[in-house]
Amino acid sequence: MVRSAAYRIAIISSLAFAIATCALGLFVYLSAHAALAGQLDDRIREDGNTLLNEYRHEGRLGLFDAIAGRERQNGSNELGYAVFDVKGVRIAGSLITDMPEPGLRNILFRDPEEGPDPARAFTTLLPDGSRLVVAADREPLERIDRQIVTLFGAAFVGVIAIGAIGAVMLGAYLRHRLSAMNVTAEAIMGGDLDQRVPVGPRGDEFDRLASLMNAMLNRIAELLENLRQVSSDVAHDLRTPLARLRNGLENGLRHGLPRDQRDKAIEQAIARSDEVLSLFAALLRLSEIEAGRLQQAFAPVDLARLTREMGESYALALEDGGRRLECQLAETAIVLGDRELLAQALINLLDNAQIHTPPGTRIEMRLETEDSRVVLTVADNGPGVPERDRARLTRRFARVDASRSRPGHGLGLSLVSAIAGIHHGKLSISDNHPGLAVTLNLPEARP
Amino acid sequence: MKVLIAEDDRETAEFVRKGLEELGHVGHATANGTDALHYATLEDWDVIVLDRMLPGIDGLSLLRRLRAAGIPTPVILLTALGRIEDRVEGLESGADDYLVKPFAFSELAARLNAVFRRGPAREVTTRLSYGIIEMDLLKREVRCGGKLALLQPREFELLEELLRNAERVMTRTMLLERIWGFHFDPQTNIVETHMSRLRSKLAEAGARDAIETVRGVGYRMRPDN
Repeated sequence: MVRSAAYRIAIISSLAFAIATCALGLFVYLSAHAALAGQLDDRIREDGNTLLNEYRHEGRLGLFDAIAGRERQNGSNELGYAVFDVKGVRIAGSLITDMPEPGLRNILFRDPEEGPDPARAFTTLLPDGSRLVVAADREPLERIDRQIVTLFGAAFVGVIAIGAIGAVMLGAYLRHRLSAMNVTAEAIMGGDLDQRVPVGPRGDEFDRLASLMNAMLNRIAELLENLRQVSSDVAHDLRTPLARLRNGLENGLRHGLPRDQRDKAIEQAIARSDEVLSLFAALLRLSEIEAGRLQQAFAPVDLARLTREMGESYALALEDGGRRLECQLAETAIVLGDRELLAQALINLLDNAQIHTPPGTRIEMRLETEDSRVVLTVADNGPGVPERDRARLTRRFARVDASRSRPGHGLGLSLVSAIAGIHHGKLSISDNHPGLAVTLNLPEARP
Repeated sequence: MKVLIAEDDRETAEFVRKGLEELGHVGHATANGTDALHYATLEDWDVIVLDRMLPGIDGLSLLRRLRAAGIPTPVILLTALGRIEDRVEGLESGADDYLVKPFAFSELAARLNAVFRRGPAREVTTRLSYGIIEMDLLKREVRCGGKLALLQPREFELLEELLRNAERVMTRTMLLERIWGFHFDPQTNIVETHMSRLRSKLAEAGARDAIETVRGVGYRMRPDN
């Protein structure tokens, strides 16, 4: 129970309620008591003063008459009266008590039926030295006090009881809701990655947490799947060059091989290992870009100028291969980024357009700025890519050509996509009718 | 050339040392930063090859201390792949060149030659020539035995770089750095295609085989041209 946050919260809140009830009770008790006592005092003081007036106008006898008249009308709960002479002997009124000092006092009087009883008395010194006492029984006041205490005592016990029951229920409810998540988490730790937290229909905070957890689990599962795919692809892509490397070295080692042929075998082996190294370089570069650390060094880059330069570097080589490069570039287009990464993206796009199209293809580079976006498109009128294959083009090691007979390691577009990503941009692939259009959409930097 | 190799991976250090010996240079390997600093300050070296990560004192601090102590020996910094941002830091700390591991020995050798012979800042020159090739940097013209070769700007820069370093081999990555400003290998054949166009244009103008391919290393002007 101590370890349960739910129980703790419920117990603390019901304790707080109980304390609040107590404080309220105390406040009601004190203020009601003070008000009633004040009322009692006012009443006896007022009546004392009335009688004093009687004495002034009518004299001692008038006073005695007034007292006698009042005592005749009195019911049991009304006021009691007494007049004491200078020696302290009661000379009028039926109140049985010792002579009190003047002013408001608590006194004890003798009730003929009940015995000694506390009362509140107002004593006035008369001009002739005798004392007039007007007293009220305190019994009704004490009864109200007792009632208030009983009432709030009961309320306190009730609040504690309700709080305790609430604590147990709330605790049980929270444990029930959380246990669904615990069960799922344990299942996932146990290796069942398909488990998801059940989401209730109410859409409360638990349901929202559950959906969030599920979304997180989906993303993790996706990444794991991606990782699994990548590892198996890396293994696959490495096997081929490594096997060729091995065969080449084995051939070179054969006895009686002329020197020049052996040198050739070694050179080929070096070329094969370069292939493997370049695959790793590309993978590391990809993860470096995705780590996003390079963003710290971003500076304004004129993408129009860079594209123009890359276009110039590529145009002639493309022409040599029988393709044509056409550029329609905005005058300037400033983006915040890394010049070399953006150049890498352009290189990969141009290389792709070159490798995956037949001679005679027209390749087009367009760069325009619109609505604070810089839009760069590399399009060709080659064979294009079927729509169902386009989505996976940006995945690592994705190749439309399943036989993997074309050059490249299938990382080109994932690299471009990652570069677009860290520049807060987007890579999209669409149909160029005919051919393929690859578009980079980047935010424009205000100069 | 007398080279200090500060590299904690024995295999790499040995591979570099042997390679240097075969080229007729002297290499001395040390595996930790404290020793490297000691050797670098006590003896005169032509070039220091410095690993970025060293036990004792790391490569960058060592480099800063050398420069602070006024030791101008050229330094080539070695770093593991995947830390591009280190490059800027390395060059700012006073490195003369930068090489990403794993590297081919020929690449290191070419860069060692380049930093060793770099000497004082390039003298202001308006003409470069080698054999029958003459380059006018003001008119941006290239003539081979008087015959004009029409070069594209990048081809011109490529030839200029080769002519300025006529005795040395320029590797593919050095050319990518100096002409295109790429400090990474973009895994493209941009250098090869430009080189092949440059060669055929020079051949057309009469300078056949003026540029030599050094297998597995790079390019240089053919000495017997």
